[in-house]
Amino acid sequence: MEFKLEAHRIVSISLGKIYNSRGQRGGIKLHKNLLVSLVLRSARQVYLSDPCPGLYLAGSPVPPPQPGEPAAGPPAGWGEPPPPAARAAWPEPETPPERPAGPDARRAVDAEPAAPGAGDTLQGGEEPAGGAAAEEEEMETGNVANLISIFGSSFSGLLRKSPAGGREEAEAEESGPEAAEPGQICCDQPVLRDINPWSTAIVAF
Amino acid sequence: MVLQPSERHYRDWSDRRWKGQESRVLTDRLQSPADPRRSVNSVMLADIISTVEFNHTGELLATGDKGGRVVIFQREQESKNQVHRRGEYNVYSTFQSHEPEFDYLKSLEIEEKINKIRWLPQQNAAYFLLSTNDKTVKLWKVSERDKRPEGYNLKDEEGRLRDPATITTLRVPVLRPMDLMVEATPRRVFANAHTYHINSISVNSDYETYMSADDLRINLWNFEITNQSFNIVDIKPANMEELTEVITAAEFHPHHCNTFVYSSSKGTIRLCDMRASALCDRHTKFFEEPEDPSNRSFFSEIISSISDVKFSHSGRYIMTRDYLTVKVWDLNMENRPIETYQVHDYLRSKLCSLYENDCIFDKFECVWNGSDSVIMTGSYNNFFRMFDRNTKRDVTLEASRENSKPRAILKPRKVCVGGKRRKDEISVDSLDFSKKILHTAWHPSENIIAVAATNNLYIFQDKVN
Repeated sequence: MEFKLEAHRIVSISLGKIYNSRGQRGGIKLHKNLLVSLVLRSARQVYLSDPCPGLYLAGSPVPPPQPGEPAAGPPAGWGEPPPPAARAAWPEPETPPERPAGPDARRAVDAEPAAPGAGDTLQGGEEPAGGAAAEEEEMETGNVANLISIFGSSFSGLLRKSPAGGREEAEAEESGPEAAEPGQICCDQPVLRDINPWSTAIVAF
Repeated sequence: MVLQPSERHYRDWSDRRWKGQESRVLTDRLQSPADPRRSVNSVMLADIISTVEFNHTGELLATGDKGGRVVIFQREQESKNQVHRRGEYNVYSTFQSHEPEFDYLKSLEIEEKINKIRWLPQQNAAYFLLSTNDKTVKLWKVSERDKRPEGYNLKDEEGRLRDPATITTLRVPVLRPMDLMVEATPRRVFANAHTYHINSISVNSDYETYMSADDLRINLWNFEITNQSFNIVDIKPANMEELTEVITAAEFHPHHCNTFVYSSSKGTIRLCDMRASALCDRHTKFFEEPEDPSNRSFFSEIISSISDVKFSHSGRYIMTRDYLTVKVWDLNMENRPIETYQVHDYLRSKLCSLYENDCIFDKFECVWNGSDSVIMTGSYNNFFRMFDRNTKRDVTLEASRENSKPRAILKPRKVCVGGKRRKDEISVDSLDFSKKILHTAWHPSENIIAVAATNNLYIFQDKVN
């Protein structure tokens, strides 16, 4: 379980780095972003392979409180597993990484339209005792968990066509350390717009 | 070897250019000795030294900084009167090598930071060096002028044209001595050859060609030709999504002009022979050490990425630096290094924090001494490490103001890894990770080292008894 939390934290940090690198002076650093994406992949694999069902939203189902990880603290509303509607939207959150890209990708895309709905349900339904700050953190973990399942087997799933000049470098950032699981996954733009802020950040990147 | 501080050069606030929002002013009060050039009370990001390099004789030392400036120091001639003061390095020339640029097609700013400086061997009275930022390499000529022509016929002393009616005699201008002036002029600009960020340049032993390496490609240039270069390595995959590694450093063999090596982010080194084919995508030798499975973590790939590769002066060995170690490889043995030195293994348990604060991406360089018997590399807290390959002894030293009083001797430092901390030791948690020594240089023949600590350049010399 600690591995899962650690992995989750590393995924959040890595996504933050990728997002911030967009604004860096001198352009995106290919080397650094490649390394970050390798870490992201390792953390994601650990996250998805850790056999703790119901934890994929990074909440502990029961007390005692998890130390050190604020988002994983047990605010009042986190106790129950996600509502069945959300479950249905993500048919197999614990998809093993070795699955071929095709079916995964399609499932991830299919899950897209339902995701915001499920996310809303969670955020609306829960009323954390911690107030606004805890709510922020819950949103973050929800987003991260979304992204982990969305990513499926390749970051190219979220790659959007950039203007000609920028494409080369943008592609590089999204690139597959996922060499073992090739596959072009293209999400339609209207779908992408419905994804909450974190995902949008990656897409724009 | 006992090291003494020789001098320390500060970045002078008064001739800095204000860079605007992306510079941060850090106040740094110092005791100012008599020399006014040394009184500095603020440090700017543009002053951070990004490369240090001695020339082939060791007479000159060049530094490049984030602001695109190059400062060259020259060793003063040792005088018979002051035997106890061996030659000190003083500022010889300062010039702006690169300016910030904007790539309109990609809407990207191109940083002016000098990534590398490499000297050409001296062939006449002038000095030549290559300096590069992320995209453009420039050849600079640094020359002295100590005479100027005087006594023109048609112009007066200020250069104004004289009224022809007043000219009644003819004279020949003569060269008269003047105050020494050192001027730097850009002789060649090698641009538009790199899509990705240049990380290395290396002058070939034929002194006619050099190479420049970016993340995915290496180009070969002739010094005389700026509008063409040959691409000799290209590891860009057809589908960028299959990208798994990038080029991190490259260098020519010191004696064989057909041989070069390049290192990768996967911890491997490839040696290539340009005689084999025009495009050296197939390596001649491949150096890789099998990974120790017990050390596997989320960050294994990052810490195995090689940040620097250097041939020994003899050409028999290569040295590589990754995040935690320095390794020496024999060119004749590809399956593992012959020596591995731990630089700061106590950081192995802190990789996650170092990932968060980005320190894990720091690119440390490594250098050989003139005889290839000692290697040196930097660490955090302004520490730098030296490893004696023969005696197997190593030492940790600190580049700091307190240690830089004249004629003081550098004391070895020690990092305490746990348990009881002895009096002079520093604990791992007290290390200052913002004070990192990434760039160092060793004089080609003497025991003189230059250490860049953020915006300060420290020069240490071996103690003379």
